[in-house]
Amino acid sequence: MSRILVVEDELHLAQGLQFNLEAEGHEVTAVESGEAALQLLLTEKVPFEAVVLDVMLPGCDGFTVATELRKARNYVPILMLTARSRPEDVLKGFESGTDDYLPKPFDLSILIARIRGLLRRTAWMQHERPAETAVAAGGNETEIHHFGKRVIDLTNLELRDGDEVVRLTLMEVDLLRYFIRNAGRVISRKEILDEVWGLREDTDTRAIDNFVVRLRRYIEEEPSHPRRLVTARGVGYRFVEEPAKEE
Amino acid sequence: MQITSRRKTAATFIVLGACSVGLALALNITWVIRWREVGMAVLGFLFFGFIMAGVTLNTIFLVREIRRNEQHDSFINAMTHELKTPIASIRLYLETLQSRNLDEAQRTNFYRIMLEDTDRLLGTVEQVLRAGKTSHKPERRNWKQFDIGELARECVELARTRHHLDAEAVEFHDHAVGSEENRVNGEAEELSAAISNVLDNAVKYSTSPVRVRVEVLAEGAHVLVRVKDHGVGIPPPELKRIFRRFYRVPQRIKARVKGTGLGLFIVRSVARHHGGDAYASSEGEGLGATVTIKIPRVYNR
Repeated sequence: MSRILVVEDELHLAQGLQFNLEAEGHEVTAVESGEAALQLLLTEKVPFEAVVLDVMLPGCDGFTVATELRKARNYVPILMLTARSRPEDVLKGFESGTDDYLPKPFDLSILIARIRGLLRRTAWMQHERPAETAVAAGGNETEIHHFGKRVIDLTNLELRDGDEVVRLTLMEVDLLRYFIRNAGRVISRKEILDEVWGLREDTDTRAIDNFVVRLRRYIEEEPSHPRRLVTARGVGYRFVEEPAKEE
Repeated sequence: MQITSRRKTAATFIVLGACSVGLALALNITWVIRWREVGMAVLGFLFFGFIMAGVTLNTIFLVREIRRNEQHDSFINAMTHELKTPIASIRLYLETLQSRNLDEAQRTNFYRIMLEDTDRLLGTVEQVLRAGKTSHKPERRNWKQFDIGELARECVELARTRHHLDAEAVEFHDHAVGSEENRVNGEAEELSAAISNVLDNAVKYSTSPVRVRVEVLAEGAHVLVRVKDHGVGIPPPELKRIFRRFYRVPQRIKARVKGTGLGLFIVRSVARHHGGDAYASSEGEGLGATVTIKIPRVYNR
């Protein structure tokens, strides 16, 4: 059972969604406006496992609600539900920080499947991932690594630099974890695609280079002169655990 | 709509072209004839004036065109929402009925909700079709004589049912019940749609509790149907604009009050087809509004 917030001003749709989600065994709260949703999520900090969000709401609209939530570092999974299905609207939805977008009229079974998908993703992130890494790392401790002043928490996907906290993506963390576990060894781009992300070989390997650039920004003191994540020319990359002090 | 906007764009270019031709002529003629400098200065001023007028006109039309495009966009958005929402709702309930075991009370409730949604859908479709129809000349052979007071009373009762309101919330006063004064000539269905549009607006833009007063009264050669609400009101500059097609008061769009911008356009078109008119008045924002439909009386003809 999960707690789901339905933000929908059309009474009939809200009732129908509430009925069906409750029939699926969830606990549903329905509100009619964006302001009410933000009040519940940000001010009262009611924990919800997912939000079904309409775009055309009176007052503060769905895009604004999603943006405000993400700005306030609330990463609750959002499924946007809207009559607008033009590509620019879909893109605007994703830019505002939503996780999924479903145009009205929708298929009930698809809606339920998508909500289940969002909840499952959260469940994986919270339980199965840390367990798997803990076993692989041979201990129960959360995976925390120090890079100079910076601390990277692989379990909670975040980087702390003093008071500043940066959220990392799952792909970034997977890649970094693989580098750390295989420290000292040269890892080819192909191996990264296959072993880390399980992607097919014909994927453009330059995508990896972009990820490495991002990782260097996280863990290197001078990203333009990498000392921890060094390039093995023509092959791939190598992670150095204890880089030599610079003379 | 498109044709008129094209005509205006064309007019802009014609004005600009004429100005350029004038400028070229002025330069040539003055050079050949060798007028005195004063003459040249006068001509210069004159044509500079023309050019400035052209540029100003161009800017005015451009701004109008941009506004029109914005109105179209917001109309399309509103229309998409108004058409898709009831369909989404009906579909959701049909799928629910299909896939879940429900008791009798739930079923009845769902059927009622779906019927309300089809009514809403029908209302939107009729509104669009009526707005399309108003650009044609009315067919007078369908016209009949009827009592507009009686018609207004029916509309009020329908509105009460539709918005779940009681007689106190929507008051009705007919100053000449059943008398000859209320007889008008026209298409009852059209006028009924117009009166219902005004009533729906009055309820939609009301602050709670809803207080709407409907009056039917004779004034000179006309019968007036006057709907007064205590709602959000209309700012003075918008009083005329709200009757334009697709036009919506910008504050209402911002506040996301739902609407298509067709309602009052239909009201005015229907009133004018019947030889009358429709107009609005308001004390200002937040002080309510009065919308009046004016139709000529039969015995004056």
